[in-house]
Amino acid sequence: MNSLLRALHAEVFKLRRTLAFRMVFVTPALVALLQFFIGLNQRKGAPTAGQLRETVFQNILSVWAIFMLPLFITLETALLTGIEHGERQWKHLLALPLPRHVYFLAKFVVAALLAGAGTLVLCVYALVVGFVLVRTSAGLPPGPPPEFGQLFLSGLKVWVAAWLIVAIHSWVSLRWSSFTLALGTGVGGTFFALFAASAKIGKYYPWLLPVNALNLVGGEPRDRLALLLGGLGGALVVALGSLEFSRKDGDEPQTSVSRRFVVGAVAVGLAVAVLAMFLQSRR
Amino acid sequence: MLAIETGDLTKRFADRVAVDAVNLRVPSAGVFGFLGPNGAGKTTTIRMLLGLIRPDGGAVKLFGENLSEHRLGLMRRVGALVESPSLYPHLTGRENLEVTRRLLGAERTLIDRALDIVRLVKDAGRPVREYSLGMRQRLGLALALLNRPDLLILDEPTNGLDPAGIHEMRDLIRRLPVEFGITVFLSSHLLSEVEQIANHIAIVHRGRLLFQGMLDDLRARQERHVAIGVTDHEAALNCLKDAKFQVEAGTDGRLVLPGASEEDAIRANAVLVERGIGVFHLALSRTSLEDIFLAMTNEPATEDRAL
Repeated sequence: MNSLLRALHAEVFKLRRTLAFRMVFVTPALVALLQFFIGLNQRKGAPTAGQLRETVFQNILSVWAIFMLPLFITLETALLTGIEHGERQWKHLLALPLPRHVYFLAKFVVAALLAGAGTLVLCVYALVVGFVLVRTSAGLPPGPPPEFGQLFLSGLKVWVAAWLIVAIHSWVSLRWSSFTLALGTGVGGTFFALFAASAKIGKYYPWLLPVNALNLVGGEPRDRLALLLGGLGGALVVALGSLEFSRKDGDEPQTSVSRRFVVGAVAVGLAVAVLAMFLQSRR
Repeated sequence: MLAIETGDLTKRFADRVAVDAVNLRVPSAGVFGFLGPNGAGKTTTIRMLLGLIRPDGGAVKLFGENLSEHRLGLMRRVGALVESPSLYPHLTGRENLEVTRRLLGAERTLIDRALDIVRLVKDAGRPVREYSLGMRQRLGLALALLNRPDLLILDEPTNGLDPAGIHEMRDLIRRLPVEFGITVFLSSHLLSEVEQIANHIAIVHRGRLLFQGMLDDLRARQERHVAIGVTDHEAALNCLKDAKFQVEAGTDGRLVLPGASEEDAIRANAVLVERGIGVFHLALSRTSLEDIFLAMTNEPATEDRAL
């Protein structure tokens, strides 16, 4: 525990002057700005200022959960591990008197904290956007009071449900030094989520868990399952990832994906898909 | 006590044996030079000494304790600089040390001490991306020294440095055992480099240990010879053979008497002058350490050459 705290202490320090840290403020701003301009057009059709604000809150969170957060996690985990891969830090870090698995755990925790910080910043931006839109909609009746608590609670649920994605990306970007591979995994996972959103299987799909936590897709409440899968699934992947990291022989990450790994991954993917279809058909 | 001791240390990569049953004995204190041409297995050996990779056979002991059983405790006593230094370019020199200090849970004052040893105090506040290669190398050494190690493992620390940088690094390494009682294990592919700072050396080639011992032991292997420059090469060769000298034609047009002593030189000179052959060069010399090193590493490693 002491060594994990030391590793976290060092990880946080390394964030100084990094793009990874700046993106915590930049990425949510993109979503908030987009929704601000959309909100400007929605002012005329809104029945009350309160409803306009709630719509803006919901839109900002849903765009963040389904699209921007998974990409944000992809970028953050790749940047966090990139500073180790780039200058071949592992031969220095792994020769220090710390157990290997703490590096994996520390990377995951910091990536999760950055995802949480990004979501928190997003909620603050949402408040600002909502406030500005309401203040500039002079003709609208006030409507219900703002539900700030609900906004932050939804943000919290989105964050917890995203832990599985953080864990998957931490593992991918620590295992392979290729930025392209990390980015490909994130873009592929997010892109496929757009198609899987309305399917029943979508409630299990890792990249859909954050948006599932908002109960916005699928027509049935998915938030509890999303929190369970996101939280416990994340913990499981972190446990397996740190075990693999500590048992690995060597101080260099792999630079490319081996053919054996691709065959294995495709086989596991197919097996999961067949199992899922079987479970669906029995309902 | 031995700082490093390996027993039949072996590592294979696919179909290649990178380190083949190496038995190192590195005494405490002083500088131990680990010599070998590029690809000889030096870095692989060092990575096993640091627990970065697992050996396929054999064992590593540091300060008498088995590395596989006491890695974390032993690594507290070891500092290392493997190949190029591992630095964060976006952080300053001091901040780079702070990262490692936090990981070690060490005292803050150790940063100033390490910067002072490598003479980087003045530039400690500059981002590492602005550092020259020599400064980066010194910062890498400061990282290795941060935790006040008893054993410092340096893998080709002068690689890529200009002559001034090499001189500075050499000077730094030489000070460490004397001023701080640190055992330095230094790998290099240059005998001339190691010769100037090490008292013990080991020579490795194609994964196998060819020589291990004091530098003086290697010097004892140097062969003396007499080189003679004459006006009539052919006549001198026949004349010396007639006088029962073992004589060879040298590569530079001179005659060589292998294993000859000072008395042999005097006698050969007298014989040649007596026969009217002009002698314009007469030198008694030894084969250089470099020649011994090259002779060892240019030939395939064999069991009987290892000491």
